[in-house]
Parts: sequence; C-alpha cells; structure tokens
Amino acid sequence: MPSRRDILRYAAVGSAMTIGLGAGALAWSGTLLGEYSVMDMGAGGEHAAHAGHDASASAAGAGVSVTSLTADPDRPADVHVRFVVRQEPIDVPGGRRVDGFTVNGTSPGPEIRATQGDLVEVELVNESVTDGATLHWHGIDVPNAADGVAGITQDAVPVGGRHVYRFVATDAGTYWYHSHQVSHEQVLGGLLGAIVIDPAGTSAPEPATDVDVDVTALLHVYGGEHTLNGRAADERVEAAAGETVRVRVINTDQGTAAVWSAAPFRVVAIDGHDVNASTDVNGQRLLIPAGGRADVAVRVPSDGGAVRLQVGGARGVIIADSSHPEASAPPATQPQDTLDLLSYGSAEPLAFDPTAPDRSFDYVIARRFGVIDGRPGNFWTINGRMFPDVPMFHVREGDVVRMHLRNDSGDVHPMHLHGHHVVVLARDGVAASGSPWWVDSLDVHPGESYDIAFVADNPGIWSDHCHTLPHAVDGLVAHVMYEGVTTPFTINGEAGNRPE
Amino acid sequence: MYKVYAGLAWSIAGGVVVQAAAIAFAFGGLLNSVANGGVVDKALLESRQAGGVGELGFVLHALVGGGLIPLLAVVLLVVSFFVRVRGAKLWAAIVLALVGLQATLGFAIVGSPYLGLIHGANALAIVAAAVTAAVRVRRSSRSAAMLDRKQATSDAVTS
Repeated sequence: MPSRRDILRYAAVGSAMTIGLGAGALAWSGTLLGEYSVMDMGAGGEHAAHAGHDASASAAGAGVSVTSLTADPDRPADVHVRFVVRQEPIDVPGGRRVDGFTVNGTSPGPEIRATQGDLVEVELVNESVTDGATLHWHGIDVPNAADGVAGITQDAVPVGGRHVYRFVATDAGTYWYHSHQVSHEQVLGGLLGAIVIDPAGTSAPEPATDVDVDVTALLHVYGGEHTLNGRAADERVEAAAGETVRVRVINTDQGTAAVWSAAPFRVVAIDGHDVNASTDVNGQRLLIPAGGRADVAVRVPSDGGAVRLQVGGARGVIIADSSHPEASAPPATQPQDTLDLLSYGSAEPLAFDPTAPDRSFDYVIARRFGVIDGRPGNFWTINGRMFPDVPMFHVREGDVVRMHLRNDSGDVHPMHLHGHHVVVLARDGVAASGSPWWVDSLDVHPGESYDIAFVADNPGIWSDHCHTLPHAVDGLVAHVMYEGVTTPFTINGEAGNRPE
Repeated sequence: MYKVYAGLAWSIAGGVVVQAAAIAFAFGGLLNSVANGGVVDKALLESRQAGGVGELGFVLHALVGGGLIPLLAVVLLVVSFFVRVRGAKLWAAIVLALVGLQATLGFAIVGSPYLGLIHGANALAIVAAAVTAAVRVRRSSRSAAMLDRKQATSDAVTS
C-alpha cells in the first residue's frame, strides 16, 4: 500500500511528465514548416548585415515578380533543345544498372553546345519524374525566371507538364545543368548534363589558350560507382603530338574531386572564367568543389607516349599521340600538395572596387542539435541560426556586396551562389595574389574563412547554398534577395515544390 | 525501477561494444573494397550509396552512436531520479556527460582527426561508467531486498 507521500510524489511526477510532454509536442509542432515562401525567411536579415545602408530594405510592397525577370521574349532562339526527362533505371556502361533519372533517355543528358551571345532555349518535358522536375543552369548567370529553383522561380514541372527556359549565354565556359527539385535525389540519380559555351568570334584553335582539341569530362557517381561521361571506364583522347587538349572537368558529385597528372598541366579556367596567365602545374593536385568546374590544358607528348590526367579518384583521361594507338600511361600517385588558386596565375585589376562595399554580410557555418520541420538531428546553422530562421541577404541592384564566409563546422562545404560569380578577395586574411579567382562554387574547409565580393547585377531571388546537397536538405541554404523582387511560388504547397 | 535502471546501463555498455564491432567491420569492408580496386573519395562518401561490404557498419555506427545510445543515456538519467540508491543519479549523469562528449567528438573527427584518439578511449570510459552504474544499483537493490526480507522475517517472528 503506497503511503500518502508516495501518492503525492507519483502525482507530482505524473503532472511534470504530462506538462513536459505537452510542452515538447508544442515545441516540436512549432518547427513544422508547412507551406512557406522564401520571402518570409530570415527575420529581415538584421543579424546578417553589419555595415552598409539599411539592410532591412525588404521586398515588401509593390514589387517585380521573378517571373518577369526573363530574357528578351521577342528574340528568336539561336539554340533550341527539347529535353524529355524520365524516372527510369540507367544502364551504366561498364557498370551496374541503377535506378535514376534520364534526359532524352540518357544520363548524363545530352551536352548543350552554344556560342557566346546565343539565346539558348530549352523546353523541359516531364514524362515520368513523379516528384516533378526543373532545370537549373549551374554557373550560368541566367535571368532569375530561368534559374529553375522549384518554389522560388517556378513550380516543379509535374508529370505531363512542360516548362521553357530562355537565357542569353553571356559568358563562355564550362557549365552544367541539373534538376533543382528534390535535388539531393534527382542530381544524385543523374538528372543532369553538361553545357559548354564557346567564345564568340573564334573557332578552334582558341588563340587565348592555344587549344587544339576540346573534350568534356563529366564526373558522376551512380550507385556507388564512379563514372566519367556516364561510363565506368577511363576515357581516351587522341591528338597529334605537341597539340594541346582542353579537358573540361565537371564535378557533378556531392564532394570534392581531385585532378592530377604525372605530366605538367595548366588550369586555364575555373567555373567558366579564364585564368589570367596560367602556368604549368607540377607535382600538385587541383581540387574541384562539388558543383565546380575546371578546364585543364594538357600537351600531347611528342615522344609517342601518353599522358594520364586523373579526374576524380577513380577515373582518368588518357591523352595520347594519334600515331601511337598503343600508347598508354599508368595511374600516378596523387600528390599531397594542393594547387593554391589564391596565388595561381597573374593578378589583374577587377572591373569593380570591392574595398568600399555597399553591403557586407557574414555567412558563418556551424552545427548543432535541433529540430527542423519536425525532424530531429544534428543540423547546420548559418550565423548561429537554424533553418528557416537563417539570414536573408538583402541587396539593391548595382550594390557591391562583400561576404565573409567562415566554416566553424567539421566538414567541408562547397558554397554555391546562384545567378552570380563571386571573386575571392582573401582566405584566412591572406589576400588573393594570383589571377582573379572567380567562382560560383567554392570549397570552404573546416576552420577556414573566405572574403568574397560580387556585384549585384542580376535582380531576383537567388539561392546561396551548400552543394553537398544533403547538407542543403539539413538547412545549409540562405538566399540573396534583391529589393523590390517578389515570388508568387511557395515551398511545400500544392505544387509540391521541394527545391533541395 | 532498479531493474530498469540496471537494464538501461547494461544496454549502454552493450551498445558501445556494438559500436566497436560496427566500426571495425566498416573499415574492414572499406579496405576490402579498396583492395578489390574500388576507390573511396569524397564523391563516393557523400553519395551515400556506396553499397560496399562495410557500408552497413558505418550506418549502424551512426544510428547507434548518434541516436540509440544518447537516447538510452537520457532515459537512464530520468530513471535515476526514481531509484533510491546513493550515487545512482551521479553515475547516470556521468554516463550522459561521457556520451554527449563522445557524440560531439564523433561529429568533429572529420575536421580534427586526432580527436579520434580520445573518441576511442572515451568509449571505454562509457563502458566503465555504465557498468559501475549497473553494478552499484544491483548491489544496493540486493542489500535493500535482503534488508526487507530480514525485516519481514523479524516482523513475522515478533507477531
């Protein structure tokens, strides 16, 4: 028989537990996101801006819709492509059959080739991707309406639906396209492809880099298997002795890829921007962040041999003299020393002055336990805040924007800003001294900090997220929002938009 | 409550054993895959679809270490408030603190690999603390039961 004291004690404990559970359930349900607009994120960005003028100049009031930020609608297309996307198994040549996504029946999808200045028009038709699909033009500074982010610039294209993307290919270089709807599954599953924009007014060989042969090396892991241009095998390129081969390496994976060779190579472009006065790289590896690209020039040996350019850990491009079809090259050991792009090439003046920015933002990445959308976990934080309470970076068209990126977490983050290229000013306080290092995808390693700058010259609402896509699902995504720009699209609504 | 407390403490100790086994299996599988020509790089790890022999080991280590053991440690501390044994709360708190440290170290290892040395040693500390908690409670529950029995016997004799 319990004593009166015991009964009281049990009653107190029972009440405390009920209250605790109730409060817990209430707190948990408070994290459920439901349908939301990115415009409501970020609490006005007051914790993001610490310099410049009124940072809370919000997009409220009569604004310009993202849907009106398009390329000239009356201009006819120079390049027109129709992409039909499907959810179906992929037979990886030399590898296994894996479940995934195809573009016009293949993965990677067809490579788009355009010339600088062309108006590119791509019609996306979703035949069977059940979650819906979009196309994002990774690294191309497209007008906002063509950015392809579900729930921000468009609704995900449902099965049976279509959507047309139009943009002018302003900058020559190596880029790629991929779905930005449930991207952590669809990009992983292969809904992607390469797009190369050749410089205007030149035909190969390109005078600037003296390139004779131009090849694409798209890296992707399908079902745990490394592939190069969709095949689980090395690639062979043959050219005349002494000629230069430009290998356009595209890292479509979720982590950094290393590029190295026993022979010297030159890095002629990063993320679609030419390196000024590139020099030979010897005994060092080049690291390409997830989502990033690097164009590497390799000379065909004159002695009848071959050069092996290792692209990613598993695959290589063998560049050989066409008159010596038997020539090959064994894999070389990966160098421990990494090429530092902060001091690679020769400095040249920038077209804008980053020393007197109109806006300065912090983007500090850390990690802590918490609950996002009812899901407990160890999540990423931005400036100490967890998604969706992350900063909104408000800018005005024409602003010079500086951002201080810092990684206080234990994992590398390939940071990707849509619609803009940013120039690296300094890393860990050491100023950049090489060719202007323009990027759209930048690896920030644990403990590192980067000072970057860009000109806000492309109005819209732009994602600024980690391209290790599961990290974006776990909250590592913020946005740059131009004053006066609004979006009619929402996330988690009827259209089923889930951009990450 | 004594039994629940001791059961939880033993489960935590057992969980650490599972962790050691899982991670050894995982790295064995990984090295086996490399020995058979496989390549492990960041692209593969982040694709979360490696599918090799040891893959299950990594998944198990993450689930047990990141979810199950911390949960058991929290429940142990809650239960300790209903166990009237000296030191029960203290040892439950020690276990929870060590588990918290262990999870934090686990997440920080990629950035600072040397923390792995502490992560391995701390695992043994968790086993020791959990076993101490379990044994102490069992010992006192036994002596309490014996005391009760003696009491009951003497009551019966006197009545």
